[in-house]
Amino acid sequence: MAGILIFGEATDSGISRATLQIATAAADLAEALGEPLSGALIGSQLGRAADEFHCGLASLYLVEGVHYRPYTAEAYVVAAQAVIATAAPSVALFVQGPDTRDWVPQLAARIGTGLVTDCTGFATERGSLIVSKPVNGGGVLAEFIVHGTPRMATVRPGDFQPRVGPASAERIHLAVAPPPERVTVLAETALQSSGGPRLKDAKIVIGGGRGVGGTNNWHLIEDTAAVLGAAIGCSRPIADSGCVPSTHQVGLSGTSIAPDLYVAVGISGAAQHLAGITAAKTVIAINTDASADIFMRADYGVVDDCREVLPAFIERVKQLRT
Amino acid sequence: MNIVVTAKQVVDPNLPPSYVDLDPSGKRIISPFGVQPVMNGYDENALEAALSLRDAHGGRVTVLSLGDDTSRGTLKHALAMGADAAVLLNDPDWLNLDSAGVGVVLAAAIRKLGPFDLVLCGRQASDSDAGQVLYWIAESLGLTAVCPIAKIEAVEASNLIVHRLAEEGFQRLRVGLPALLGVSSEMNEPRVPSLKGTMVAGRTLIAGRTARDLDVPSLQPKVELRSLAIQKRTSRAKLIEGASAAAKGAALAEKLREEGLI
Repeated sequence: MAGILIFGEATDSGISRATLQIATAAADLAEALGEPLSGALIGSQLGRAADEFHCGLASLYLVEGVHYRPYTAEAYVVAAQAVIATAAPSVALFVQGPDTRDWVPQLAARIGTGLVTDCTGFATERGSLIVSKPVNGGGVLAEFIVHGTPRMATVRPGDFQPRVGPASAERIHLAVAPPPERVTVLAETALQSSGGPRLKDAKIVIGGGRGVGGTNNWHLIEDTAAVLGAAIGCSRPIADSGCVPSTHQVGLSGTSIAPDLYVAVGISGAAQHLAGITAAKTVIAINTDASADIFMRADYGVVDDCREVLPAFIERVKQLRT
Repeated sequence: MNIVVTAKQVVDPNLPPSYVDLDPSGKRIISPFGVQPVMNGYDENALEAALSLRDAHGGRVTVLSLGDDTSRGTLKHALAMGADAAVLLNDPDWLNLDSAGVGVVLAAAIRKLGPFDLVLCGRQASDSDAGQVLYWIAESLGLTAVCPIAKIEAVEASNLIVHRLAEEGFQRLRVGLPALLGVSSEMNEPRVPSLKGTMVAGRTLIAGRTARDLDVPSLQPKVELRSLAIQKRTSRAKLIEGASAAAKGAALAEKLREEGLI
């Protein structure tokens, strides 16, 4: 049992950026443990993603089949089990995402091994794997020692730079038969997109909270988003009020975001919300209350009324760009 | 329809994140003095879903919680919302279990309750945010787990039609019963306990179970909590100054431009 194995994310347009980010963490870990680094992809069309998974991998395991779309947990669990049985890694890492949040814990329970979900950092100590993750809305940092074979973690891509390396030395194709169906997918429905960048991948996100002052002032958030090319997010009270669709909610019961810039407007910073922005690089808080908890997380703060701050901000951004 | 709901008591997630304490062992997050812990929000959604199904199709709703004696508060809340029975799984050996251990103990307790059609769990807990326990329950009981569920569209003779949240939309799924669903907050708005419900809850006995009451296999820790560290409650924000709100807005734009952020 040796080696670090990364389960990558294959999308229609190739390997996800998050996969290459996690490869960076995985490569450090491989070096620290003195074990080889390998990769694996599971999906319906892997050609492009496999070509782009250039991280100096010793081996790349590919499980391809039409039964991986639409997604069902069971198909992925069985495929990953087959890869793990062949590769026999000591550590398996996964990109944290909506699908892995579902199937990786099932995989851990099926194999009977230790898993930490949504972790942000790794360390090794005399061969032990130690992973850290923010809990309780990011107010507390937890460190765990992971046991079992393989030791598993799903990793939040936020903090790591993407890894670039040579193409993998060998490709190993595994044929895995579709497992008996446990659920029947009757239909897949896409939610209507409201246009603009997707919250989850946006480089800039502007989020509004109760301090914006209700529906009548929400245009301030929209105008700022338009001028910055930002995605729009909101706090839970705003989503609960129905003012903004719940798909825009950032936080524990909404979306976790990882933008380069997050502008929090009129958001107090409950644990619930901060849990969703732990991976944001630079955070700006605009709030009339200087003691609001959002300032504990912010890099820059403006203590004033957003109704006056934002119009001047928008105007100045436009000027600076001409 | 006989439904089992699992519920965890947590520190209120609507508190500011720095308002928590650690117990003397340093391994458990506890509510600050004078602040009541609450039922995990997603578990409340799961309980609401269970009560609606029972009200429409008959049957019984039993709520299980693994925790110390203070978790009676969460079970009283569940009874006040309308649950038919509540069971507290309380044993000193269980207080520092990992997700796998909690799942295995809950599964053993569910098995002991007798026949059921559905297990409803919250999709994750707001304190540990791990989202693993439900899958360990499902695996231990040989159930199919589907998660996160935003809607139960229809109840058929031996199936449910549910909506599972996907990355950018949802999947409409048929799931055979018995099954386990991980419920998300999109499902419903949990009811507020009525005065009558609260009074009934006050009179209802909460059953207790310890390791001796259940056939729990030996629990080897798979994930060990090494430390918890409260992140310091200090602001590192650089404040943007200006003579007026508008001046601060303009100065913010300049600062972000200077930093190459916009």
